[in-house]
Amino acid sequence: MRARSQLRTTLPALAVLSATLLLAACGGDEDGSAETERPDSFAEIAGAAQGQTVRWWMDGGDDRINAYVDDVVIPAAREAGVRLERVPVGDTADAVQRVIAQRRAGRESGGAVDLIWLNGENFAAGKEAGLWLEGWVRDLPNARFVDFDDPTIVNDFQVPVDGQEAPWSRAAFALAHDSEELAEPPRTYAALLEYLRRNPGRFTYPAPPDFTGSAFVRQVVAAMGEDRAFAYLRELKPLMYRDGETFPESADELNDLFANGQVDFAMSYEANFVAAEVDNGTFPQSTRPFVLGEGALVNVSYVTIPSDAANQAGAQVVANLLMSPELQAQKADPEILGIPTVLDVERVPPDLRGRFDELDESPYVLSDFGQVEQELPASSVEPLEQRWEREILRGD
Amino acid sequence: MSGLHASRRWRDRALVAPAVSVLALLFGGAVAGMLKTSLVPLGADGLSGATLDTWRELLGDPAFVDALVFSLRVTVLATAASAALAVPVAVALRRRGLAIRSLAALPLPVPHLLVAVAAVLWLGAGGLADRLLGGLPVNLVRDDAGVGIVLVYVFRETPFLVLLMLAAMGRGLQERTEAAAVLGASPGQRALWVLWPTIRGPLVVGSIIVGAFVLGAFEVPLAVGPSYPPTLATFAFDATQGSVLAGEGLAAATLLLTSTIAVALAVAAVRFARDAEGA
Amino acid sequence: MVRRPLLARAGGLAIGLAFALPLAILGVRAFADTWRAPALVPQDWGLRGFEAAFGGGATVEAFGNSIVVALGATALALALGWPAARVLGERRLRRPGVVFVALAMPLLVPPYATGAGLTEWFIRLRIIDSLGGLVLAHLTAVLPYVVLVLLAGFGTKVTELEDMGRTLGLSPARRLAWVTLPSVAPTLAAATVLGFLVSWSQYGSSLAVGGGLPMAPLVLFPFIGPDPQTAAALSLLYVIPPILALLVTARAASSPL
Repeated sequence: MRARSQLRTTLPALAVLSATLLLAACGGDEDGSAETERPDSFAEIAGAAQGQTVRWWMDGGDDRINAYVDDVVIPAAREAGVRLERVPVGDTADAVQRVIAQRRAGRESGGAVDLIWLNGENFAAGKEAGLWLEGWVRDLPNARFVDFDDPTIVNDFQVPVDGQEAPWSRAAFALAHDSEELAEPPRTYAALLEYLRRNPGRFTYPAPPDFTGSAFVRQVVAAMGEDRAFAYLRELKPLMYRDGETFPESADELNDLFANGQVDFAMSYEANFVAAEVDNGTFPQSTRPFVLGEGALVNVSYVTIPSDAANQAGAQVVANLLMSPELQAQKADPEILGIPTVLDVERVPPDLRGRFDELDESPYVLSDFGQVEQELPASSVEPLEQRWEREILRGD
Repeated sequence: MSGLHASRRWRDRALVAPAVSVLALLFGGAVAGMLKTSLVPLGADGLSGATLDTWRELLGDPAFVDALVFSLRVTVLATAASAALAVPVAVALRRRGLAIRSLAALPLPVPHLLVAVAAVLWLGAGGLADRLLGGLPVNLVRDDAGVGIVLVYVFRETPFLVLLMLAAMGRGLQERTEAAAVLGASPGQRALWVLWPTIRGPLVVGSIIVGAFVLGAFEVPLAVGPSYPPTLATFAFDATQGSVLAGEGLAAATLLLTSTIAVALAVAAVRFARDAEGA
Repeated sequence: MVRRPLLARAGGLAIGLAFALPLAILGVRAFADTWRAPALVPQDWGLRGFEAAFGGGATVEAFGNSIVVALGATALALALGWPAARVLGERRLRRPGVVFVALAMPLLVPPYATGAGLTEWFIRLRIIDSLGGLVLAHLTAVLPYVVLVLLAGFGTKVTELEDMGRTLGLSPARRLAWVTLPSVAPTLAAATVLGFLVSWSQYGSSLAVGGGLPMAPLVLFPFIGPDPQTAAALSLLYVIPPILALLVTARAASSPL
């Protein structure tokens, strides 16, 4: 709590500081005429954004992320002259559905969704339908700190981002165990199978198409290839919780089963989930994250602006803020959120770089996720989910 | 004489018209939009881009057939059980004061999803019952037969039916029951001749509302239903997981079909009630 | 003979508690910062749930909006529904089937189905993203309930009493106040409570046409899966307005005017 209130006071000042630093840096060095045009065009955008109210539709169920937005992002936006409102939804799909309905109604401006934090599949589908504002990301001043040669950043589920969404968060697939109950968790797929032979019923994963369950299946597929992965999942099934006949419907439900001692492992695509669940009292303090296999599936989260959004300039100002070294450093701080930054820290000016190096180690957040397992193409996600339903759930 | 009749009929129609036309305008447009969504993919040019692909995909999916059967079973069970429980509860509560009636009505303002959360807190694996008993004798959460779904609905919908019946009972029922008793009617006869005609209307109407809701809502099956089969609504919900765009047509088609079934069941229920009345 | 009412009273209380007590677990959960198996009572008590619930500040505004919209939708539904319910309740239509189906349609179509359709349609009607639009969207759900409940109160008994009033020379206003309202009071009260409740609980349509305006269920729902403590804390506040509505209307019904 103290960290939060401290944030409230120091942040606006720091945000202004970093913004001025950035503008100075952008205008000063570098070469080429294209470079010098950027600050000008963003200055215009920042000018147009003054007094706009940006409605950012996002999942509203995580009180730490809510607090980060309310206590860090909203004050920083206010300093930049933009009123930011968080529209909490239970499911990002609700926001996308709203944009689709606006398109269906033939509306091309004045849309109620200014900014969405969305998943790769929805991004890919929306991109195909031309729902998103194009070519604005690279012009944001803070985009200079992002490595756009990094394949995990320039592609979202292997779909080229093409300047239609701005990176703001990193996700990595991790499992959790209670170190008091189980000192050393099985860290390979073979070890997990072996563990379940000795302790049947102590493992489960949410049923795809749930986001987390689908990611677990992809994590296995990325590790061993599709057919071997399905053979593995078939082998796992009878050894799972309730004989693999019933699966939790969501990561939340799995978290509760884990917290109440029904299974030995929890899992999430959010790299910091153990910190969040310990913080809100769901998990015991002895819970520790770990990676299953050689490495974790990783993914970058983005925010996008619908092409019909009413307050596009303001939304770009907010997206730029979200990528600022200051806000990214706050987000990476395990005390606040503990989500890995999307910035290339080498590109951050030395005086701000320290903020990333000084981050406290937390037992609840992994600093090393092993080798990076790339996300599968967005178009392959649904077929995988359908195959899972056919072969694993129904067991045809 | 016939002129008077005709003008009365027109006056009655005029009195019904505002309610009907407001609903037709506001709601009809929304339903038409859903129909269009199920036929015309986003980006296709107007109605010329209409295709029956979504409907074909839906009707050809074996999971849809399983969902249909499962949904109908859960709907009939939940509705019948709620109605059967609501009648004795309403009779027992009709002379009770406001405090007790309010207690019984408490589930009404609690969202279904939250009632399901409470059910999981009590009955789920590792839940309070599990902790008290040191193990669960039966699985009521995520059981294959959908008993958990039925249980949550009975708990949540019985008070709704009770409220409707208590409103219809009012003060008149008391007087009529006493009059019947003075005329020498036995308790059974009083129930059949006085009580039943009073509550039959609200019970049938309420049960239709409950049945339609159970058939089309996804929250409770998602929270306490089995992983397979889905209900019609969770089938639609699953279609939009991942990408809304890819699944919105399928979801719209599923739910339109669900609505059609609900209307058919409602009409059948009204017919059945009227036949029973005639008999 | 003395024992029977006592027994009936105890039975009534038992029934009331059977519906109320299972929900009391939400009251405990709201204050349970930690409550893991095998503990029968929470390991840690605290107010984290309430802090998270009011973190953003939109919660109070959301409750205010929801109350305004629920009152508006209920009032409008009563005004539109009363004449329709009267005609239907007194069986004055020769073929009421069509009207019934038209009126009941919003109750038969899953609320989840119409969300996107409602957004598109309300954009076309230009009544989107406002409290007024929300009132109209809620009206589609509230009006059917109000009509169906109200019509049960009308019938030959009411018209006979009104005719008596007319012969006694009562003015239309007095007839309404002294005869009609008292005789339909219980159903009118039930229709009002139910109307308020239905509007208060609208999640899908509030999301569909509100354009992000905070409403009570929209604040509550996102927490229900991920954060049961906050959801439980909010639910304790969430049930207060409907319960107040129940008490107020029940009191008005038992002593009309």
